[in-house]
Amino acid sequence: MDATFLIASAVKVLVVLGFVLLGVPLIVWMERKVIGHMQDRIGPQRVGPFGLLQTIADGIKLFFKEDIVPDGADRVVFIIAPALPVITAFLALAVIPFGDTVRVAGHDIPLQITDVNIAVLWILGTTSMGVYGIVLGGWASNSKYPLLGGLRSSAQMISYELAQGISLVSVIVMTGTLSLASIVRQQEHLWFIVPQFFAFVIYILCGIAETNRAPFDLAEAETELVAGFHTEFSSMKFALYFLAEYANMMVVSGIAISVFFGGWHGPFLPPVVWFLIKLSLFLFFYVWLRATFPRLRYDQLMAFGWKVLLPASLLNLTVTALVVGLTA
Amino acid sequence: MLEPVLFALFSVSAVVFAFNVVFRRNAVHCALHLVGVLLSLSGMFVLLNAQFIAAIQILIYAGAIMVLFLFVVMLLNVKGEAPLLTPGAWKGFGFFFALIVFVELLYIVLSQGGTEGTPAAAVPLPPGFGSPAEIGRILYSTWLFPFEVTSILLLIAVIGAVVLAKRKFA
Repeated sequence: MDATFLIASAVKVLVVLGFVLLGVPLIVWMERKVIGHMQDRIGPQRVGPFGLLQTIADGIKLFFKEDIVPDGADRVVFIIAPALPVITAFLALAVIPFGDTVRVAGHDIPLQITDVNIAVLWILGTTSMGVYGIVLGGWASNSKYPLLGGLRSSAQMISYELAQGISLVSVIVMTGTLSLASIVRQQEHLWFIVPQFFAFVIYILCGIAETNRAPFDLAEAETELVAGFHTEFSSMKFALYFLAEYANMMVVSGIAISVFFGGWHGPFLPPVVWFLIKLSLFLFFYVWLRATFPRLRYDQLMAFGWKVLLPASLLNLTVTALVVGLTA
Repeated sequence: MLEPVLFALFSVSAVVFAFNVVFRRNAVHCALHLVGVLLSLSGMFVLLNAQFIAAIQILIYAGAIMVLFLFVVMLLNVKGEAPLLTPGAWKGFGFFFALIVFVELLYIVLSQGGTEGTPAAAVPLPPGFGSPAEIGRILYSTWLFPFEVTSILLLIAVIGAVVLAKRKFA
């Protein structure tokens, strides 16, 4: 553990942290603008050029709002809960490779905060811990609608985690490694979306469900549950949930890119640029979905997860294992 | 140098969380402290070079089973139920089982602690120790039979749960 390693790691951590914290307001602006145009509106345009500073203004407003803890709330859990999904999202970002190894002043530095040999498990583990923020937020509010939102969320996460994990296992069976950096390296000539198309479809559906985004945003279904699990949260606590949702979108997209879309591989442009292009396309896809599909009913959501996605992912895994076993 | 510090940190946090699991009144708080115990144990597994077990510990226990626990606790909204036995009888049971565990631990320490003087860290680890590939190899060769038996046991549990749950509505 020499000084270069420490400095390089610190710089990478700061860059990723800064990128996410500055990127989230941009994504929110993009979302509002894109949805606005898709619904034949113009979206934000008053604050700054093209309304770019709108989310910054919203952020400042949230920062200065009164921080309310309901009387009947469980104070400690109520305060801890909003921080959990943010922490887990940043932990998951630590293993996503966003570029090839670069040579800086005679040292090879991989553009990834850390390459652990169990990266895929690490990501599944951290995202499965992220649900605590929502469940506990709903419970600690000591109020009907948030509790229902939290309960929905915990059932939803458990159902979709399974299919998501199994769809990633299909790729792991092909590559024989759990390290995201090596999975990316093996996709130099062929992106895994081609042989593992079904695994990708299952993964991204589960990913949308895991990030609680439309059409799977049952935990905050405003037509039934006011605002679901974050009904009672105000000020920065609400902002943290908001930040976590978008950071988690980046995590899910980052994994999808690394596992199925060749990671930072791409012609002509530098690897980091390719990664950012793919990331933007994925985030656009999220917004596009939200503007296109109505929310599922809760029983439809559970039936879809258990009766369609899980069997499909198991079938895909079996076929992949057979093909790998017979050709190897 | 870092390892003993981390070990102390994880073990102290595991013990503190474990005490809270027992002494907290609120069932949700108990469940949360149990998550703390599981996370601390996962840290210990990493120190033992068992990264795969550590990840599985978080993924299965902390991430899935405890979420289900919380789900049930929150759904039923458990407020202090009528006690099955008098507090004195509970204490008697508690001391009885604590005594059994104490005797067991004492036996283990006395029978092995003195004779095998070399600490485990002095033995070099075999290559690939604790890696997913190595665990998979061992699981499907040496321990294949217990592994399959466990899976059948779990299948029986799942079918049993479905049968019991269905009976109510029949």
